[in-house]
Amino acid sequence: MIQLFHVSKYFGANAALKDVSARIRKGEFVFVTGPSGAGKTTLLRLMFGAEPPTEGQILINGINLSRVNGSRLDLLRRKIGFVFQDFKLLNRRTVFQNVALASEVTGEKWTTTRKKTHQLLRAVGLATKEQAYPLELSGGEQQRVAIARAMINDPLILLADEPTGNLDPEITRDIMILFRSINLRGTTVIIATHNKELLRNTDQRIIFLHEGTIHE
Amino acid sequence: MGKLRLWVYYFKHAFASVLGNRLIYLISTGTISISLLLFGAFVLLSVNFSNWVQSWEKSLSMSVYLKDGLDEPKKDKIKEAIQKLPGSEIKGFISKEKALRDLSGTLGSQAGLLEGLTKNPLPASYEVVFRNENLGREDLRKIKDALENVEGVDEVQYSEQWMEQIEGMVYMTRIFGFIVGGLLCVAVLFIVTNTIKLAIYSRRDEIEIYKLVGATDWFVKTPLLIEGAMQGILGAVVALVILFAAYSLFTFRTIQLFGLPVMDVVFLNHGHLALILFLGLVLGLLGSFVAIGRFFRF
Repeated sequence: MIQLFHVSKYFGANAALKDVSARIRKGEFVFVTGPSGAGKTTLLRLMFGAEPPTEGQILINGINLSRVNGSRLDLLRRKIGFVFQDFKLLNRRTVFQNVALASEVTGEKWTTTRKKTHQLLRAVGLATKEQAYPLELSGGEQQRVAIARAMINDPLILLADEPTGNLDPEITRDIMILFRSINLRGTTVIIATHNKELLRNTDQRIIFLHEGTIHE
Repeated sequence: MGKLRLWVYYFKHAFASVLGNRLIYLISTGTISISLLLFGAFVLLSVNFSNWVQSWEKSLSMSVYLKDGLDEPKKDKIKEAIQKLPGSEIKGFISKEKALRDLSGTLGSQAGLLEGLTKNPLPASYEVVFRNENLGREDLRKIKDALENVEGVDEVQYSEQWMEQIEGMVYMTRIFGFIVGGLLCVAVLFIVTNTIKLAIYSRRDEIEIYKLVGATDWFVKTPLLIEGAMQGILGAVVALVILFAAYSLFTFRTIQLFGLPVMDVVFLNHGHLALILFLGLVLGLLGSFVAIGRFFRF
């Protein structure tokens, strides 16, 4: 599903990732962890095609990210859901509109978009908050809106950057249950986190990053 | 999504975005209005000045002075020679006595100066005007020479210096028009582009989110271009309404300047109105296009 070959990323003279190689199989649930500045966010951004690697190759479902750009990259992104730490929701749009947006941009029929949006909001427990605005919701609820939006196009891969960073333990547990259920439906889930509580007692694969290099 | 549905979506979102960002769009549309108001006022002044100059050119008059002591048949021959000239119209015959009376009237309180004259020195004349003829200075000189060769004609005078000044003014107006009009266009483009850029910049988070969820560039750009076009046209309409209100309020419909021919102050014609609307549309589109082009280089 995801293959990284000798990937490095430099910001000026600083290396965020150094010669990283990894393989993540279809349907895997993977944690990427490490201290702040280890390169977790950079790794996820490279997998999403938000930035090109300085060196190396990244293959997503057999497609080399270095060889796609413009609208082909936009189309590929529709197969990758991304949940951001700061949610990245449109505050002037309702919960329903925020989730529907990701489907609308693909040119999906409105009836299908509407149906899928209702279903997903019900699945993440926000059926009663469809017409609310993001700023009227709690942090956990906003995170669930972001997850619903990331899931609406039935992505092959779900990337989540510190999805529980600002949430209390109870809500963190709910969010993690949600990710597990998404993974059980066949979606490859990759979560970047430095929350040690999440990693304790987990039987999932953990990729440990330190100063831009992998220690599995 | 079918093409038509996609365009419906673009327009729907463009309208929703304008309504949702009312203050920003009010400021940018206001800026476009003020810029186009200045441009429209300049066009209005140019059109009226040009009309004024043309009306002067068209009402050019010529005085054909006669030698003293001509009999009626000779005067008729001169009259015939004048009437044969294209576009000519004899406005009147001023006899020696009337010429003296007119001079006396013009001198007013100093008319006493003329009392010492033993003989009337002023010649009789035909006053001729040329209407609707595009007569250049060279044509007028030829007419003058031809008339001066007619028996009984003493001298022909026309406002040659005034003609030169008018032609100079027309030339200067054109040069000035091109320079000022060109500079105004550049200034308007610069202001509009930057205003729209600021409006788009204020929505950079929204654009970023669209891109992150997989929207193509054109999916994001098209509603922004539509918004730019809408602002441009609305700005132009507001500018024209203000210009017309100002024209109606502050302009006398006719003015009379120094006793010269009455001149109508006209508003912009349909062509000029269409030009300003089109300019608004182009500026809005171009402004958005430039702003988007810069903005999408992230």
